[in-house]
Amino acid sequence: MSVTGLFIILVSGILVNNFVMSKFLGICPFLGVSKQVETAAGMSMAVTFVLTLASIMTYIVQLILVRLGLEYLQTIAFILVIAALVQFVEMVVQKVSPTLYKALGVYLPLITTNCAVLGITIINIQYGYNIIETIVNAIGVAIGFGLAIILFAGIRERLEIADVPSVFKGFPIALITASLMSIAFLGFAGLV
Amino acid sequence: MKEIRKLGLILLVITAIAAAALGYVNMITKGPIAEQNRLADIAARKQVLPQAEDFEQLDIKSPGNYLIIKEIYKGLQGGKDIGYTIKTVPNGYGGPVEVMIGISSDGTIIGVNIGNHTETPGLGAKATDEAFKGQYTNKTADMNIKVIKSGTPSDDQISAIAGSTITSVAVTDGVNEAIKYFNENLR
Amino acid sequence: MIGGNEVKIWNTLQNGIIAENPVFIQLLGMCPTLAVSTSAINGIGMGLATTAVLLGSNVVISAVKKIIPDKIRIPAFIVIIATFVTIVGLVMKAFVPALDQALGLFIPLIVVNCIILGRAEAFASKNSVIQSLADGIGMGLGFTLALFVLGTIREIIGAGTIFGNLIFEGYQPALIMILPPGAFLLLGLLLALFNWISVKKARGESR
Repeated sequence: MSVTGLFIILVSGILVNNFVMSKFLGICPFLGVSKQVETAAGMSMAVTFVLTLASIMTYIVQLILVRLGLEYLQTIAFILVIAALVQFVEMVVQKVSPTLYKALGVYLPLITTNCAVLGITIINIQYGYNIIETIVNAIGVAIGFGLAIILFAGIRERLEIADVPSVFKGFPIALITASLMSIAFLGFAGLV
Repeated sequence: MKEIRKLGLILLVITAIAAAALGYVNMITKGPIAEQNRLADIAARKQVLPQAEDFEQLDIKSPGNYLIIKEIYKGLQGGKDIGYTIKTVPNGYGGPVEVMIGISSDGTIIGVNIGNHTETPGLGAKATDEAFKGQYTNKTADMNIKVIKSGTPSDDQISAIAGSTITSVAVTDGVNEAIKYFNENLR
Repeated sequence: MIGGNEVKIWNTLQNGIIAENPVFIQLLGMCPTLAVSTSAINGIGMGLATTAVLLGSNVVISAVKKIIPDKIRIPAFIVIIATFVTIVGLVMKAFVPALDQALGLFIPLIVVNCIILGRAEAFASKNSVIQSLADGIGMGLGFTLALFVLGTIREIIGAGTIFGNLIFEGYQPALIMILPPGAFLLLGLLLALFNWISVKKARGESR
């Protein structure tokens, strides 16, 4: 695989096929933890960490499953790997860096049910990526997730003080904002 | 320590029961899934080479040179070769796109069909419409097909789907790869 | 008391479909809601697949709730849910391959649909099997209804069809409704509409 190919995977993960804006993966944290830029940044860091590790781990698990002819156990094996990984990362971070734990701690348990994580592990397999492409794709997707959620949090901070019609307050206006952002992301369509 | 062992054991039992249940369901559905896939494959080949009564799989020669070609079948009618179906998987906008091409033995494209894909509904997914894929029909394998964005296409051109040049180019790449293989190995 | 029990089951059922609709009121399961509601039929298919998983997991979890120690209940629930998701996935591949292809990635992703783990935690691990069954049906149908509504509106505006049948001759479809922005926009507008209705209702009652 050439460097250009890897670059294309990276850019398409960040912009063109942005998980949140065009694939609808990771919407729960996108809407749930985007009220402040600071928390959004914490969440996206935690996601980047888990997403990349999970991609590598599931790549290995898939090799084992294929060897044993147990491909149909993919979903259950992957989600268990992700759940165990999240638990493990939580324990390690808590021991090694209490500061980092303070920043990421609350988001870690939420990541198990973040469909971006399970989604990317399955997509990596579906697209037949090798280990390097898998890692690059994971990093691209994670940056794309961070980009979307931090931008969105920035807008929502301002929305809080804006004079919005009362029935639109909260989620309705947030979703409409997301819609406009998603139109902007459609503009990247011709990039790759 | 004792508690951890007990918890681990319970979790293990639950997982074992789950795996056993899945193994059982897999055993039941394996047959029908394989059958569905087989029927879908035959139907897909028939669609691009309708005259064929039977198909025979061929090995891909020097697969390293034709990375996106996945499968080649020879179409038979009354025991005679009448053409080939070539399945290619170029990369579209949303991921891989399965493109099946039927070429008659004398080098005319009989039909092109789109299989599994993840293109955007309403845009790239329009590649599955006859209005787009029908454009390849009756083109000859003597030339490479080009995609144009506007104007009336000439004999070696097809019009891109509006707003989905990437998908259009991807499908055409698949068709051109099949033409290349046909010219170099099957003609 | 039999009458009382029946009323309770009926209430549980109704609760999921309208009063606590998982999508419109609780805002759960957003990913599949937005992603597969591009047409009415996809919405129904996804809704029913999720309902099947929810039914299975709710019943099994409420049946084994006493055996599972509290500390490992989350991983145990996840294993049970993933098992049902895989079963539904295999059955769909075997008998309705076209629908399976249309929903694609979002079938295995039912595992991480917050509705299912949410109901396991909040309801099935505390209630009887029958009640959990009713809850599963109610929440599942509520989810299906929401997806169907979104899917139908998006299909009509965005493609000019309903269940794939053309409705107006010569209508130029507004493609944007089928694309991602349309999903966000429509859900935002619907939520605002529901807010408006409940505000109006509350005002009417206080008068």
